[in-house]
Amino acid sequence: MRAEALSQVGLGRVGHSPQRVGGRTRVTGEQRYVGDIHLADELQVKLVTIPAARARIVAIDAAAAQAVPGVRLVFTPADLPQPVPRFGPQFADRPVLAVGETKYHGEPVAAVAAETVEAAEEAVRLVQVHYEELPALVTIGAALDPAAPLVQDPSSRPGDPLAHTNVLREHRYGWGDLDAQAAELVVDHRYRFPMVTHFAIEPHAFLAAPDGSGIVVWSTIQHPYWLQRMLAKLLGLPLAKVRVIAPDPGGGFGGKQHTKYEPLLAFMALRVGRPVRLVLSLEESFQAARRAAAEVQVRTGVCRDGTLVFQEIAADYLIGAYADIADRVVGKGSYIACGPYRLPAVRIVARAILSHTVPSTAFRGFGTPQVIWAVESNIDEVARRLGLDPLELRLKNVARKGEVFIPGDTPADGDWAESLRKAAEAIGWGTPRAPGRGRGIALGIKLGPTTGLSYATVRLLADGSVIVSAGTSDMGQGARTVFAQIAADELGAPLDWVTVVMGDTAVVPYDQQTSASRSTVLMGSAVLRACRDVQAQLRAMAARLYEIDEAAVEVTRGIVRLPQRELPISVVLSEGLGPLGGELIGTGEARKEPVPGHPLGGTAAFYDFNCTAAEVEVDEDTGDVTILRYVSVSDVGTAINPLQVHAQDAGAAIMGLGHTLMEQYIFDEAGRIRNLGAIDYRIPTSMDLPRAFETLLVENGDGPGPYGAKGISEGALLPVAPAIAAAIRDGTGVAIRELPLTPERVWRALRERDAAETASDVQGVPLAEGFPMAARHGKPSRRRQHGQG
Amino acid sequence: MHRFVYERPEALADAVELFARHGAAARPLAGGTDLIIGLRDGSARPAVVVDLKRIAELPPTIEEQGSWLRISATVVMSDLLADARIRHEFPALAEAAAAVGSVQIRNRATVAGNICNASPAADTAPPLLVYGAVVVAVSDAGTRRIPLTDFFVRSGVTTLRSDEFVTAIELPRPSAPLGAVHLRRTRRRGHDLASVTLSCAIDRDGVTRLAYGSVGPRPILVVDESGRLADRGASDTVKEAILDRLFSAASPSPRSMRASPEYRLAMLRVLGRRAVRVALVRLDGGVQDG
Repeated sequence: MRAEALSQVGLGRVGHSPQRVGGRTRVTGEQRYVGDIHLADELQVKLVTIPAARARIVAIDAAAAQAVPGVRLVFTPADLPQPVPRFGPQFADRPVLAVGETKYHGEPVAAVAAETVEAAEEAVRLVQVHYEELPALVTIGAALDPAAPLVQDPSSRPGDPLAHTNVLREHRYGWGDLDAQAAELVVDHRYRFPMVTHFAIEPHAFLAAPDGSGIVVWSTIQHPYWLQRMLAKLLGLPLAKVRVIAPDPGGGFGGKQHTKYEPLLAFMALRVGRPVRLVLSLEESFQAARRAAAEVQVRTGVCRDGTLVFQEIAADYLIGAYADIADRVVGKGSYIACGPYRLPAVRIVARAILSHTVPSTAFRGFGTPQVIWAVESNIDEVARRLGLDPLELRLKNVARKGEVFIPGDTPADGDWAESLRKAAEAIGWGTPRAPGRGRGIALGIKLGPTTGLSYATVRLLADGSVIVSAGTSDMGQGARTVFAQIAADELGAPLDWVTVVMGDTAVVPYDQQTSASRSTVLMGSAVLRACRDVQAQLRAMAARLYEIDEAAVEVTRGIVRLPQRELPISVVLSEGLGPLGGELIGTGEARKEPVPGHPLGGTAAFYDFNCTAAEVEVDEDTGDVTILRYVSVSDVGTAINPLQVHAQDAGAAIMGLGHTLMEQYIFDEAGRIRNLGAIDYRIPTSMDLPRAFETLLVENGDGPGPYGAKGISEGALLPVAPAIAAAIRDGTGVAIRELPLTPERVWRALRERDAAETASDVQGVPLAEGFPMAARHGKPSRRRQHGQG
Repeated sequence: MHRFVYERPEALADAVELFARHGAAARPLAGGTDLIIGLRDGSARPAVVVDLKRIAELPPTIEEQGSWLRISATVVMSDLLADARIRHEFPALAEAAAAVGSVQIRNRATVAGNICNASPAADTAPPLLVYGAVVVAVSDAGTRRIPLTDFFVRSGVTTLRSDEFVTAIELPRPSAPLGAVHLRRTRRRGHDLASVTLSCAIDRDGVTRLAYGSVGPRPILVVDESGRLADRGASDTVKEAILDRLFSAASPSPRSMRASPEYRLAMLRVLGRRAVRVALVRLDGGVQDG
């Protein structure tokens, strides 16, 4: 084989979009999710809950349930070690089962294990829970009322000055002197973001089985190693005796990052000495994970020419009854609340406020969508008040590449103005638009991981095929494919000769977590380094075989280059391994070290940046919003797999349209979720997509990941709401500051506008028409049309 | 799921006998798109489920009987959509059937079941009302023909007796073409339960029949015989006043989370105005999207 032919085997995969690894089995239903796994002798578990949010548990009578044929265990808090173990990724505040008081609608008070699901369901119905319903806090206002009951017992927060409030923690960031800034205009508004849920198609599912002196747990978890640590601690077992098997989840979006019912299942399995299995319903998933609601007050100070001089943000996040990872969400999300702008003075105060609701957790964007919605909407307001083009205002203030925009943190790592211009150009910014239509533009920025640790091993087998072991969870984002592409390229194997092993703590080396769009950058780098380790071994092998100096051998992308000739890796490998065969084992590690004293524990590994523009039409009679055109532009560094990048951005945009237009939890007065399930909690369908839908990429190879890649898939969700709201504003003149923008909410805003116009009989703020567009043609970009086109 | 006896009679007489014996403890099963959900979530706990799909006398057919079309109890929404007579003579019914659920749901859900479930939001109720449908019910006391206007009581409750079940819905075929349309309001464009439904049929004499649902405990039929609603020369003010009067029986629940009463009432008026406009265009033979 000549080198040229070889290069076609090895090269060209990174930057192209081969068929997704595991994609076929995922869409044909062959893939085995946790819910598809059955163990011999397993018992089926169902949770016992009560139709109340907050209630004092008086007594649990299990007699009738115990009598149901097939029931093997009715498990109550009394069956757990005392005091009942508590756990959580940030605070060990969540009991394995509710102790004394339920704190949110859906919190389990007991659980049943039976030979069949039917028997378990019947028994659950017969468990008599005597309880006394108590008033529940489900809004920020109610939770902050000085007379409000405390969600968490102050005695569980010793030494905490906020222990006698429902504020779990307060986060303060800032720089510069706000008072010293001479703003010529200050725009001050409050924005509301609803409580929403992840709605992964695969429900959360768990199995636990005793295993000799240890335990094996199957879970839909995104962070298997974190779960392993948590279980080891709760059960008093060494890590090596806790095996977590985490098959590829069917959608995670953050909702599967942290431990939920695995401890309960583990205690039950150890109690009955048999495997136990629990698959949540969609309704139970709603009660297991959600995004924090938020109210964000934004004061933006600006000069007449559009130069931003300060921002002051007060962000209240409504988290749940237990912290889960929510306080970190609040702290990290609000940290970048001022966006990517050059600002002389900033003050940010964010509070994580406890309530009697489902514990909020990580959710695509990690606390940033809430503040981006507020800040970007306020920036739009600033532009309109000054009579400036919202695009130009942003271009004027957005940090240039290499510029520090948060003191002490990573400087701007992309040409963000290029994303803005590209989005504006694609939507036809500044060109005439039909009456009744409006255009909006907004940007979004989020920090990538602030710390991280990923290990990978890459085994080059005797025939040249490759096994990559990587502890990332591929929940649909395509990590398997990206790692396979990297290994295939580096080691010259066809893609279908690469196997990627994931999701088993007994087999695959440690990975900190799958979150913050980190896996391409961190695990991808670990895989790349493991491949380079194998290449180094090949160099040594070639030097030995051909009796030349190791420094004279070069191994790149599947080819061993000797001074006089080039050989495919497979030839060198088979000669070098000799008659016994064997393999080369490479290891790779990628770290993002903590930074002592940094408020988040570390700086941003990269920024996930997106600019979104939309054109909408509003039905003045009904409030219906039709998105005619939608453009999403992400700064991705390098697209290792462009199709997957486009798909992630399209998915993020559609998910963002959910909280923008229709999604929200609705509670009754007692704190029960009224719209539990798919019928009254609406998510966008294919029919709700924009009429024309386009994703574009900016690729300048300026990321810290393999080949210059950055992490992606959260950025495209961030600016959806402010872009759509700005477009509605542009088309109708109404500014709506509360999500979702349901037809009824838009209709009400239109009626209020009409009433105000009638009352004052004067024109409101004139709508800016036909902004001059600063069009500049950038490099040719990757472009993809979605949907109805 | 709770335990029940499943019966699958093959003769109508056997089904009649089962309902005579079990009364309210028996529930008929046709498409199952409401019943199965009820069985699963425990809101329906019948002792006996009587599957109607194998009854020889109830094939899933739409038959002509004189000047009537007889829609058997086992006819599903997709059958309606596939039937040229329904599409041409009862377009508002076809539009309503097309709005029910998703393709999978429409392949299972029956028209009769949609009516018997008596949801105020039932999509096919308003068109069946404006077209003058009659419900055919059977029991061991014989067959009853119940005008649809006398059928609905409130959500989930009809005037069917506990020993009766529906075998067909009959529609009088219009002697002259009508201008008709079905409109609905939902929270999203994809399949959704309606927060307001409205059908309108205008005949050559200018009589306008409007039926609306999801704005009170049951769908309601109202008629403007004055001809002014259908009068192309009448002013908007006049038409608005007539619509206000016709919609005076609407009483949306303040407890609903799908839309506020204020919004539903406003949308009922919007749909009313738009439906009259579309129906008039169609009456003239024009093509107009609903």
